[in-house]
Amino acid sequence: MIDTPVEPLGEALAELASTLRRSVVEVRTRGAGAGSGIIWSANGLIVTNAHVARTEHATVVLWDGRTFDGVVTAHDSRRDLATIAIDPGSTALTTAAIGHPTDLRTGDLVVALGHPWGITGAIALGIVHVVETRRGAPRWIRADIRLAPGNSGGPLADARGRVVGVNTLIAGGLGVAVPTTTVSRFLDDEARRARSGYRAA
Amino acid sequence: MAGPSTTTPSTGGVLESLSNDLAGAVDRAGQSVVAIHARRRIPASGIHWRPGIIVAAHHTIQREEDITVSLADGTTAAATLAGRDPTTDLAVLKVDDAKVPVASLGDGAGIRVGALVLALGRPGSAVTASLGVISTVGGEWRTWHGGSIDRFVRLDISIYDGFSGGPLVDAAGRVLGVNTSGLSRGAALAIPVSTVNRVVDQLVKSGRVARGYLGLGMQTVRLPAPLVERLSLPNDVGLMVVSAEPGGPGDTAGILIGDVLIALADRPVADPTEVLSLLGGDQIGKTLATRIIRAGESKTVSITIGERPREPRAARRGR
Repeated sequence: MIDTPVEPLGEALAELASTLRRSVVEVRTRGAGAGSGIIWSANGLIVTNAHVARTEHATVVLWDGRTFDGVVTAHDSRRDLATIAIDPGSTALTTAAIGHPTDLRTGDLVVALGHPWGITGAIALGIVHVVETRRGAPRWIRADIRLAPGNSGGPLADARGRVVGVNTLIAGGLGVAVPTTTVSRFLDDEARRARSGYRAA
Repeated sequence: MAGPSTTTPSTGGVLESLSNDLAGAVDRAGQSVVAIHARRRIPASGIHWRPGIIVAAHHTIQREEDITVSLADGTTAAATLAGRDPTTDLAVLKVDDAKVPVASLGDGAGIRVGALVLALGRPGSAVTASLGVISTVGGEWRTWHGGSIDRFVRLDISIYDGFSGGPLVDAAGRVLGVNTSGLSRGAALAIPVSTVNRVVDQLVKSGRVARGYLGLGMQTVRLPAPLVERLSLPNDVGLMVVSAEPGGPGDTAGILIGDVLIALADRPVADPTEVLSLLGGDQIGKTLATRIIRAGESKTVSITIGERPREPRAARRGR
């Protein structure tokens, strides 16, 4: 039986949001609207959706308003993932804590953070509707949560604030996120490609 | 700000404990949620209600033969349609050898405005869940097809594929009712456990829920004041007969189109739903003294209540 008091629930959610938003950026590209992104590493690697980062350059705005010129360094339209590199210089970046999509259960609380309709740093609360798997591995996280354009590229996080997915699309009213396990594979593939000297042109 | 940092995940907090509660409730209640393959495209949801008895939403069962159900343990079983009741949007299927648990049914105390609830479904192999609250609770009500439902339970919850026929579950995983979007223009409603039990009993016993029937279409009309006064009528409205099923109970009793029904068994009627409430299954075969107005004169006609014939499948709406 649930005996969770409501007030601490609100406080915990507010704390989770204020922590998580430090690792969430706004991604602006010429022509397209704004999307969201996740600070993946302290050296300035940002993960977002491929459909958010369609151009070679993007402007990246941190939670506190600091703005950087970013270069789109990898773009995978099949997985709908992209990376943007920024040079943080002496600026300290807060990276996102990454969770385990394989541990998600239907009914688990999830939080989305992003810039729906251009509203900065908006939070949404929902639950896991179903984790769609392929050969035992998570393929899509479908969430009963209210998302909007501008959430794309932003994090879907678990009840502890760990990022488990990249919010990518809305299908049949459900928020659909690419699991972070897929992001890791994408980053590994890109690293391997960089080592082999391969460059798409 | 000092050096680079990673957002610190909180542990053991209230959010995590709520998350665990909700996922636990889904896990428990989800064991008895089944997928029903009785329509094209996406399977519908159903609930293993009693051993071998599956409850479903009538409007999602679009064929009566060649039905299979997928159970939580990954097995598939053949199912036969035991009966359906379009008036409450419920259907009952029978399966042999269902090795999954039956639903843990709540006693109705959990149905309160503001209660945190989950709607579960299985529109495929995996169980799905949505979170919401009970937004309205009312008393007994009658559906537009004439079915009687013990309590009006409206939900503030998103409707996705698999919603109808799935259970409404409280945070402990107890089933509070059967969800449907087919009874109220697509709004999310739940049929409480007590009503489902009653309909299941009848469908298992006789394959249908018997309803009394007059075979008359009626519409409320206002009566002129002089007429009300002259005939000392109980109401200034009555029910004008606008259609009569040929050979139906009303037609057989001599009711004509244009007659205005004033009272049935001494009970004044001002709305067609009041007539429906006098036509429960136990009234079939009984005779109703019916007061009518024909050509400006009061008259009493005896109508023998018939049984409503099986109707074509109700309009299919909702998910």
